[in-house]
Amino acid sequence: MKISVVGQGDIQVLELSGELDYHSSPELREKLAELTAKQAPKILINLSGVDYMDSSGIATFVEAFQKTKRYQGRFILAELTATVRSVFEIAKLDNIFEIAPTLAEAASRLGSKT
Amino acid sequence: MEKRFELIASSEVLPPFRKELRHILARAGWEKKTAEEILLAVDEALTNVIRHAYHGNSGVITVLVKVVDDRIEIVLEDQGEKFDPTQVPPPKLPRHKPGGLGIHFIRTIMDEMIYDGQVPKGNRLRLIKRKTKI
Repeated sequence: MKISVVGQGDIQVLELSGELDYHSSPELREKLAELTAKQAPKILINLSGVDYMDSSGIATFVEAFQKTKRYQGRFILAELTATVRSVFEIAKLDNIFEIAPTLAEAASRLGSKT
Repeated sequence: MEKRFELIASSEVLPPFRKELRHILARAGWEKKTAEEILLAVDEALTNVIRHAYHGNSGVITVLVKVVDDRIEIVLEDQGEKFDPTQVPPPKLPRHKPGGLGIHFIRTIMDEMIYDGQVPKGNRLRLIKRKTKI
Protein backbone atom coordinates (compact mmCIF):
# COMPACT_ATOMS: atom_id res chain seq x y z
CA MET A 1 0.00 0.00 0.00
CA LYS A 2 1.23 3.47 -0.88
CA ILE A 3 0.13 6.43 1.21
CA SER A 4 0.84 10.06 0.50
CA VAL A 5 -0.42 13.05 2.45
CA VAL A 6 -0.88 16.32 0.60
CA GLY A 7 -2.01 19.54 2.23
CA GLN A 8 -4.44 21.61 0.13
CA GLY A 9 -5.25 24.69 2.17
CA ASP A 10 -6.90 23.45 5.34
CA ILE A 11 -7.65 20.05 3.76
CA GLN A 12 -5.33 17.09 4.32
CA VAL A 13 -5.70 14.74 1.35
CA LEU A 14 -4.58 11.14 1.80
CA GLU A 15 -3.94 9.40 -1.52
CA LEU A 16 -4.03 5.63 -1.06
CA SER A 17 -3.18 2.96 -3.56
CA GLY A 18 -2.87 -0.80 -3.39
CA GLU A 19 -4.50 -3.25 -1.00
CA LEU A 20 -5.68 -2.21 2.45
CA ASP A 21 -5.65 -5.21 4.78
CA TYR A 22 -4.47 -6.45 8.18
CA HIS A 23 -0.89 -6.18 6.91
CA SER A 24 -1.02 -2.63 5.56
CA SER A 25 -3.62 -0.97 7.80
CA PRO A 26 -1.21 -0.22 10.72
CA GLU A 27 0.71 2.21 8.50
CA LEU A 28 -2.49 4.00 7.51
CA ARG A 29 -3.63 4.02 11.13
CA GLU A 30 -0.38 5.72 12.10
CA LYS A 31 -0.75 8.43 9.42
CA LEU A 32 -4.35 9.10 10.42
CA ALA A 33 -3.41 9.17 14.11
CA GLU A 34 -0.82 11.89 13.34
CA LEU A 35 -3.49 13.99 11.63
CA THR A 36 -6.16 13.51 14.28
CA ALA A 37 -3.63 14.13 17.09
CA LYS A 38 -3.07 17.62 15.70
CA GLN A 39 -6.81 17.94 15.09
CA ALA A 40 -6.60 18.36 11.32
CA PRO A 41 -9.94 20.08 10.58
CA LYS A 42 -10.64 18.42 7.22
CA ILE A 43 -9.42 14.99 6.13
CA LEU A 44 -10.15 13.70 2.63
CA ILE A 45 -9.31 10.11 1.72
CA ASN A 46 -8.86 9.37 -1.99
CA LEU A 47 -9.64 5.66 -2.41
CA SER A 48 -9.56 5.52 -6.21
CA GLY A 49 -6.36 3.46 -6.15
CA VAL A 50 -7.51 0.96 -3.53
CA ASP A 51 -8.66 -2.25 -5.17
CA TYR A 52 -9.03 -4.35 -2.01
CA MET A 53 -10.02 -3.62 1.58
CA ASP A 54 -10.81 -5.87 4.56
CA SER A 55 -12.31 -5.27 8.01
CA SER A 56 -8.97 -3.94 9.30
CA GLY A 57 -9.18 -1.15 6.73
CA ILE A 58 -12.76 -0.36 7.74
CA ALA A 59 -11.76 -0.36 11.44
CA THR A 60 -8.97 2.12 10.68
CA PHE A 61 -11.44 4.50 9.04
CA VAL A 62 -14.03 4.08 11.82
CA GLU A 63 -11.42 4.97 14.43
CA ALA A 64 -10.22 8.09 12.58
CA PHE A 65 -13.80 9.15 11.78
CA GLN A 66 -14.80 8.94 15.46
CA LYS A 67 -11.74 10.95 16.49
CA THR A 68 -12.48 13.74 14.00
CA LYS A 69 -16.09 13.88 15.18
CA ARG A 70 -14.89 14.42 18.76
CA TYR A 71 -13.13 17.64 17.79
CA GLN A 72 -15.79 18.67 15.21
CA GLY A 73 -13.51 17.86 12.27
CA ARG A 74 -14.66 16.60 8.86
CA PHE A 75 -13.73 13.21 7.40
CA ILE A 76 -14.70 12.37 3.82
CA LEU A 77 -14.02 9.30 1.69
CA ALA A 78 -13.93 9.81 -2.07
CA GLU A 79 -13.81 7.83 -5.31
CA LEU A 80 -14.48 4.37 -3.86
CA THR A 81 -13.89 1.48 -6.24
CA ALA A 82 -16.77 -1.00 -6.60
CA THR A 83 -14.95 -3.57 -4.47
CA VAL A 84 -14.32 -1.14 -1.62
CA ARG A 85 -17.86 0.25 -1.75
CA SER A 86 -19.20 -3.29 -1.47
CA VAL A 87 -17.24 -3.79 1.77
CA PHE A 88 -18.77 -0.63 3.27
CA GLU A 89 -22.21 -1.88 2.20
CA ILE A 90 -21.77 -5.33 3.80
CA ALA A 91 -20.74 -3.52 7.01
CA LYS A 92 -23.77 -1.22 6.62
CA LEU A 93 -21.40 1.73 7.01
CA ASP A 94 -22.04 3.30 3.61
CA ASN A 95 -24.61 5.63 5.18
CA ILE A 96 -22.55 6.41 8.26
CA PHE A 97 -19.46 7.76 6.52
CA GLU A 98 -19.59 10.81 4.31
CA ILE A 99 -18.77 9.40 0.87
CA ALA A 100 -18.25 11.58 -2.21
CA PRO A 101 -18.28 10.20 -5.77
CA THR A 102 -15.35 12.36 -6.90
CA LEU A 103 -12.43 14.23 -5.36
CA ALA A 104 -13.77 17.51 -6.75
CA GLU A 105 -17.14 16.88 -5.10
CA ALA A 106 -15.44 16.03 -1.79
CA ALA A 107 -13.29 19.15 -1.94
CA SER A 108 -16.32 21.25 -2.80
CA ARG A 109 -18.23 19.88 0.20
CA LEU A 110 -15.23 20.78 2.35
CA GLY A 111 -15.27 24.31 0.97
CA SER A 112 -12.31 24.20 -1.35
CA LYS A 113 -11.25 23.17 -4.84
CA THR A 114 -8.71 20.51 -5.83
CA MET B 1 -9.14 -29.12 -8.69
CA GLU B 2 -7.49 -29.14 -5.31
CA LYS B 3 -4.58 -27.05 -4.05
CA ARG B 4 -2.93 -26.99 -0.65
CA PHE B 5 -1.06 -24.00 0.81
CA GLU B 6 1.20 -23.96 3.84
CA LEU B 7 1.25 -20.42 5.16
CA ILE B 8 3.27 -18.82 7.92
CA ALA B 9 0.87 -17.20 10.39
CA SER B 10 1.92 -13.65 9.59
CA SER B 11 0.09 -10.75 7.97
CA GLU B 12 2.67 -10.46 5.18
CA VAL B 13 1.48 -13.75 3.66
CA LEU B 14 -2.01 -12.35 3.05
CA PRO B 15 -1.41 -10.34 -0.18
CA PRO B 16 0.45 -13.15 -2.06
CA PHE B 17 -2.11 -15.73 -0.91
CA ARG B 18 -4.97 -13.55 -2.16
CA LYS B 19 -3.20 -13.29 -5.51
CA GLU B 20 -3.08 -17.11 -5.79
CA LEU B 21 -6.71 -17.50 -4.72
CA ARG B 22 -7.78 -14.77 -7.16
CA HIS B 23 -6.25 -16.82 -10.00
CA ILE B 24 -7.99 -20.00 -8.83
CA LEU B 25 -11.36 -18.25 -8.63
CA ALA B 26 -10.94 -16.70 -12.09
CA ARG B 27 -9.98 -20.05 -13.60
CA ALA B 28 -13.01 -21.66 -11.95
CA GLY B 29 -15.27 -19.11 -13.65
CA TRP B 30 -16.37 -17.04 -10.65
CA GLU B 31 -17.53 -13.57 -11.63
CA LYS B 32 -15.32 -10.79 -10.29
CA LYS B 33 -17.67 -9.35 -7.64
CA THR B 34 -18.33 -12.72 -5.99
CA ALA B 35 -14.67 -13.72 -6.34
CA GLU B 36 -13.59 -10.55 -4.49
CA GLU B 37 -16.13 -11.30 -1.74
CA ILE B 38 -14.83 -14.87 -1.34
CA LEU B 39 -11.30 -13.45 -1.14
CA LEU B 40 -12.46 -11.13 1.61
CA ALA B 41 -14.11 -13.94 3.59
CA VAL B 42 -11.03 -16.19 3.39
CA ASP B 43 -8.75 -13.25 4.22
CA GLU B 44 -10.84 -12.51 7.33
CA ALA B 45 -10.68 -16.16 8.41
CA LEU B 46 -6.88 -16.16 8.00
CA THR B 47 -6.59 -12.89 9.91
CA ASN B 48 -8.62 -14.42 12.75
CA VAL B 49 -6.21 -17.36 12.95
CA ILE B 50 -3.20 -15.00 13.05
CA ARG B 51 -4.82 -12.81 15.72
CA HIS B 52 -6.89 -15.18 17.85
CA ALA B 53 -5.37 -18.66 17.44
CA TYR B 54 -1.69 -17.70 17.27
CA HIS B 55 -1.97 -14.26 18.95
CA GLY B 56 0.67 -12.89 16.59
CA ASN B 57 3.14 -15.69 17.49
CA SER B 58 4.73 -17.96 14.92
CA GLY B 59 2.78 -20.88 13.54
CA VAL B 60 1.55 -22.55 10.38
CA ILE B 61 -1.82 -22.33 8.67
CA THR B 62 -2.74 -25.00 6.14
CA VAL B 63 -5.26 -23.91 3.54
CA LEU B 64 -6.89 -26.45 1.27
CA VAL B 65 -8.79 -25.00 -1.69
CA LYS B 66 -11.17 -27.38 -3.46
CA VAL B 67 -13.10 -26.48 -6.60
CA VAL B 68 -15.85 -29.02 -7.15
CA ASP B 69 -18.55 -28.53 -9.79
CA ASP B 70 -20.30 -25.27 -8.93
CA ARG B 71 -18.81 -24.73 -5.51
CA ILE B 72 -15.58 -23.75 -3.84
CA GLU B 73 -14.58 -25.10 -0.47
CA ILE B 74 -11.73 -23.68 1.60
CA VAL B 75 -10.49 -25.54 4.67
CA LEU B 76 -8.23 -23.74 7.12
CA GLU B 77 -6.27 -25.71 9.72
CA ASP B 78 -3.97 -24.41 12.43
CA GLN B 79 -2.27 -25.61 15.59
CA GLY B 80 -3.04 -22.52 17.66
CA GLU B 81 -5.38 -21.84 20.56
CA LYS B 82 -8.99 -22.95 20.15
CA PHE B 83 -11.11 -20.26 18.55
CA ASP B 84 -14.59 -21.03 17.23
CA PRO B 85 -15.83 -18.13 15.07
CA THR B 86 -19.29 -19.70 14.74
CA GLN B 87 -19.85 -18.98 18.44
CA VAL B 88 -19.21 -15.25 18.09
CA PRO B 89 -22.60 -13.47 18.20
CA PRO B 90 -23.53 -11.32 15.19
CA PRO B 91 -22.64 -7.65 15.66
CA LYS B 92 -25.27 -4.94 15.87
CA LEU B 93 -24.87 -2.94 12.66
CA PRO B 94 -23.76 -0.37 11.88
CA ARG B 95 -20.90 -0.55 14.37
CA HIS B 96 -19.70 2.83 15.52
CA LYS B 97 -16.58 1.35 17.11
CA PRO B 98 -13.63 -0.12 15.20
CA GLY B 99 -13.41 -3.91 14.88
CA GLY B 100 -15.80 -6.84 15.18
CA LEU B 101 -16.74 -7.11 11.49
CA GLY B 102 -14.53 -9.92 10.16
CA ILE B 103 -16.78 -12.82 11.17
CA HIS B 104 -19.84 -10.87 10.00
CA PHE B 105 -18.19 -10.64 6.56
CA ILE B 106 -17.53 -14.40 6.48
CA ARG B 107 -21.13 -15.20 7.53
CA THR B 108 -22.62 -12.77 5.01
CA ILE B 109 -20.51 -13.87 2.05
CA MET B 110 -20.15 -17.64 2.42
CA ASP B 111 -22.99 -20.16 2.23
CA GLU B 112 -21.53 -22.26 5.01
CA MET B 113 -19.01 -21.73 7.81
CA ILE B 114 -18.41 -25.01 9.65
CA TYR B 115 -16.12 -25.25 12.67
CA ASP B 116 -14.80 -28.69 13.56
CA GLY B 117 -14.51 -28.80 17.34
CA GLN B 118 -13.34 -32.45 17.25
CA VAL B 119 -9.77 -31.83 16.12
CA PRO B 120 -7.50 -32.66 19.10
CA LYS B 121 -5.29 -29.61 18.69
CA GLY B 122 -5.83 -26.28 16.96
CA ASN B 123 -8.72 -25.41 14.71
CA ARG B 124 -10.34 -26.57 11.49
CA LEU B 125 -12.73 -24.26 9.67
CA ARG B 126 -14.55 -25.05 6.41
CA LEU B 127 -15.93 -22.29 4.24
CA ILE B 128 -18.21 -23.16 1.33
CA LYS B 129 -19.64 -21.00 -1.43
CA ARG B 130 -21.90 -22.19 -4.24
CA LYS B 131 -22.49 -20.48 -7.56
CA THR B 132 -26.16 -21.36 -7.42
CA LYS B 133 -28.23 -21.14 -4.25
CA ILE B 134 -29.83 -24.38 -3.04
